[in-house]
Amino acid sequence: MGYGMVIDQQLCVGCAACTIACKIENNTPVGFNWCDKITRTSGKFPAVRYEYISTMCNHCDNAPCVAACPTQAMYKDRQTGLTLHDTKKCIGCKACIVNCPYGVISFNWERPHQHWAQRDRLAEGCFSPREMLEESGGEGSPHGNPERGTTYPVVRPAGSVEKCTFCDHRLVKGLAPACVDACPSGARQFGDIDDPNSEVSKLVARHGGKGLREELGTRPRVIYIRDYKPQRRFEPARPAGENQGA
Amino acid sequence: MNSNVSRKDFLTPTWILIAAGLVAGGAVGLYEMFFGHLFATNSSLVWTLPLVTYIFLALMSTGVSLILAYGLIMKDEAITRHTRALLIMAIGMLLGGFTALATELGSLLNMVWILLSPNPSSPIWWMGTLYSIELVLLAVKLVLDLKGRHGVFDLPLAWGTLLIAAAAAITIGAVFGTVIGRPDYHGAFLSVITLVSALVSGAAAIVLLRPQSALTETAGRIFRQTALLFAGLLLVRVAYEAHSTVVGMLGWASIWMLVPFILALVLLQYAPRILAFIGILGVLWVQYSFIITGQLVSLGQTAHWYGAVQSYQPNIPEALILVLGVAVAAALIKLGGQFLMDERPPAT
Repeated sequence: MGYGMVIDQQLCVGCAACTIACKIENNTPVGFNWCDKITRTSGKFPAVRYEYISTMCNHCDNAPCVAACPTQAMYKDRQTGLTLHDTKKCIGCKACIVNCPYGVISFNWERPHQHWAQRDRLAEGCFSPREMLEESGGEGSPHGNPERGTTYPVVRPAGSVEKCTFCDHRLVKGLAPACVDACPSGARQFGDIDDPNSEVSKLVARHGGKGLREELGTRPRVIYIRDYKPQRRFEPARPAGENQGA
Repeated sequence: MNSNVSRKDFLTPTWILIAAGLVAGGAVGLYEMFFGHLFATNSSLVWTLPLVTYIFLALMSTGVSLILAYGLIMKDEAITRHTRALLIMAIGMLLGGFTALATELGSLLNMVWILLSPNPSSPIWWMGTLYSIELVLLAVKLVLDLKGRHGVFDLPLAWGTLLIAAAAAITIGAVFGTVIGRPDYHGAFLSVITLVSALVSGAAAIVLLRPQSALTETAGRIFRQTALLFAGLLLVRVAYEAHSTVVGMLGWASIWMLVPFILALVLLQYAPRILAFIGILGVLWVQYSFIITGQLVSLGQTAHWYGAVQSYQPNIPEALILVLGVAVAAALIKLGGQFLMDERPPAT
């Protein structure tokens, strides 16, 4: 058993709904995107090509961040294949950030969401950020998702890194990661990529596909299939009737 | 132990400078640890001047340890006569480096936790463990020396320090050399650079801080030889970078980096302390350059946030952490000189 994600570049429209859904679900601070993008523009007018590649932690089988972490704060979960992080063990050395070839790990240089602790009101009669936080009962920020806290702190502490967990708190409930559920075009599929009969494995078997920077030997668990081609816009990625999602 | 130290011994220009460095750097360090973030960093450029300070001081301490261990093993009296002074120097520099590292990690406790939850595949774990053992060995040697207990343990301790210090210096290079996917961090060459730079800066520090004729001559000889080796390695790197086809490599070596070491090689006998100081600055330049350059290329999505290639200039708080590390090392070396040495240095 090992979770993996397939992103169909033919279906991805670059709307960034995955990025927004991730921010809301995981309560990431300003300036941190666990789910983000790489964009590339190439060619010469009129033959110009624009690529939008949605990115996140690749949960590599051979994860350089796990090998480099001196305290085992970054670790591989044997049951799920996820690359997870234990903030209690993190000493803030940032070796994982330097060693991750994908640039998907962020560091909390300061206490996150601290602007929500301010007591100053913008105008008389308004709520202050602190009052909004208290009124909402949120942790760290009014939009802090308490369910996030079941497997990873809702607010990661200062001096600690943080990164995508494939929404492990949702997986234990049988739900797909928030980015998968939010994708309006069904470009993201999630499941047991070690099971050859799973939807994600079938997609990879059907279309091929590869991970980012595979030449480094990291064996990423996020696989990209089908480069976008306008002429196959209406070609289905999956035969009709096949299941979608996790 | 010297008990004749008076308040007057601390009212000297050197101590005033050290105190100013401790206060200014200490204030920044405490603020960074407990209140907020002052360093010029982001999620892509994470190891900046404070980490360079740790590596610079730790490697300089390693160099002093290696030279002392060499002297003890080879029974070179020009070195062994200054065992206590060199031990104080090595310990002071290492603790100065640890101070800078603590501000970078955010807490002193984080440096202890590294030993309690080990990951043997991590070069940083090995680096932390080896430098902890190194510090213990140096402390044991100092205590034995202060108690006048010399004999059967001296040689094993010297060999132990030599091996641990060399391994620690090599491991610092491995922290960068084992990184994949960053064009300017790769390979065993960085371990060679850190080991040789430890010897160059350690020998230069002895020439600078312990001006005694026989010791200066021996340490000066080691400084010249290792400076020649270091200049040769830098030249190889400059040539490699000039012809490299590695995509995205910025290159950290410059032909101008050879100048301090060639100057030391040719002119050391005329102005040993000045050229030793210039040599130390040269080593700092090389270490700073390779550590920073390796992180300037933004990877993956961070290119959107910070640009494909970042630029970096240390800010004042970061510079003050360098001052803090050096001031802690200088304070410990001065205190050791005043309290632990039989022959007290003149008050300066």
